[in-house]
Amino acid sequence: MTLRRIRIIAVREALAERGQPDGLISAVTFVATMILVESLAVGPLAANQPAIAAALFWIAMAFAAILATSRSFERELEDDALSAILALPGGRDAIYGGKVLALTALLALVAIVGGALSLVLLSLGVALPGHLLTVAIAGVLSLSPVMVLFVAIALRLRSRGALVPILVLPVLVPQLVAATNGTAAAASGDAAGALAWAGLLVAFALVYWVLGFTIVPAALE
Amino acid sequence: MISTAAKTTTALRARPFLGAASVVALFVALWMALVWSPPDAAMGNVVRILYVHVANAWLAYLAFVVVFLASVAYLWTKRLVFDAIAVASAEIGVLFTGLTLVLGSIWARPTWGVWWSWEPRLITTAVMFAMYVGYLLVRNLSDDLERRATRAAVLGIVLVVDVPIVHLSVTWMNALHQLPSVLRPDLSPTLDPSMLASLIAMTIAFTFLYAYLMTARVDIERRRQARVLEARA
Repeated sequence: MTLRRIRIIAVREALAERGQPDGLISAVTFVATMILVESLAVGPLAANQPAIAAALFWIAMAFAAILATSRSFERELEDDALSAILALPGGRDAIYGGKVLALTALLALVAIVGGALSLVLLSLGVALPGHLLTVAIAGVLSLSPVMVLFVAIALRLRSRGALVPILVLPVLVPQLVAATNGTAAAASGDAAGALAWAGLLVAFALVYWVLGFTIVPAALE
Repeated sequence: MISTAAKTTTALRARPFLGAASVVALFVALWMALVWSPPDAAMGNVVRILYVHVANAWLAYLAFVVVFLASVAYLWTKRLVFDAIAVASAEIGVLFTGLTLVLGSIWARPTWGVWWSWEPRLITTAVMFAMYVGYLLVRNLSDDLERRATRAAVLGIVLVVDVPIVHLSVTWMNALHQLPSVLRPDLSPTLDPSMLASLIAMTIAFTFLYAYLMTARVDIERRRQARVLEARA
């Protein structure tokens, strides 16, 4: 029953995004701009080093995820739809699960565009494309549950725009370190390293999924 | 009920004794750390900062684990006393994490040659400090007592994830910071017995200090909660 509700919320999110894709467009534009600005700031010689390019990409992804998640919840607040969903039986679990699923799909699209831009603009060579894909999937999976968790906590707070990055970025440090190292390992041909970091990312994703389902229903207002 | 906040509780009755125990234990521990324990073979007298640095770090861990336990208890029971315990412990934890960073930096200068190094233990500790400053920020942005407590409890549960990360960061990654000297996986401390005894004495003294500060801060928070509830009534 809960799974069905989660699917309904996720599909509803996808339909809302298709009708008005401001979350996706702003996240993709943001990632592209960040990659360009960051590469200019560190210089072309440094920006196409695997470790630096990976760090720039995942930092941009983290900020894009904050943007997309905040936009998703703002839509609920603008339409006053949140209270109705929360009033439904099982609505609290469903909104967490549904939002995480929808955000994961959205971030996957952002990662594809942002990753392609990084590869082309920074002239990056990738030694192990399959491993890079595995790390990218694991990285996206580890970002979304944390984002939804923290945006849900800060939902009704004033100055939440500033508060969410303050709260979420320190918590994301292990995931950012793992995703950066895993991406750099895949780009430079270290298969074992890439898979180890991807495994750590999946472990973080599982921890935050369980944590989110356990405590987010209590935090949603 | 919150109206009983100002009543004399066991914790309040124990406060003067905890204060006295803290002062006595701190004097004994300082004597052991500064006079009784020997200088280190490599670092000389600089090693004496270890006793306060490690005791500070222990207190930070303890405080944030208490925040976690109080947060779970609040969500379970919805009793505001647990919220008061959580905020008191978080504030003390932030204070002692800040002191840990400062003392570590002072110790790093003569031993590593730099005030700060980008290495895992330092970064994860700084991240933990930033996380709990964020926790206190979240608390201050809400006026509704129950909503603030619920939100803070959820955050208090999530943030504790960083405590084992901080402790284990030196064993997971190549680090400039030394490996744990006491809380080791093989449970065999690597310190000289007199140094270990001094460190344990300082840790006990700091734990008394924590208990004393907690009773004082929880009392203040309970009075504040009572005022809010009375105004609401």
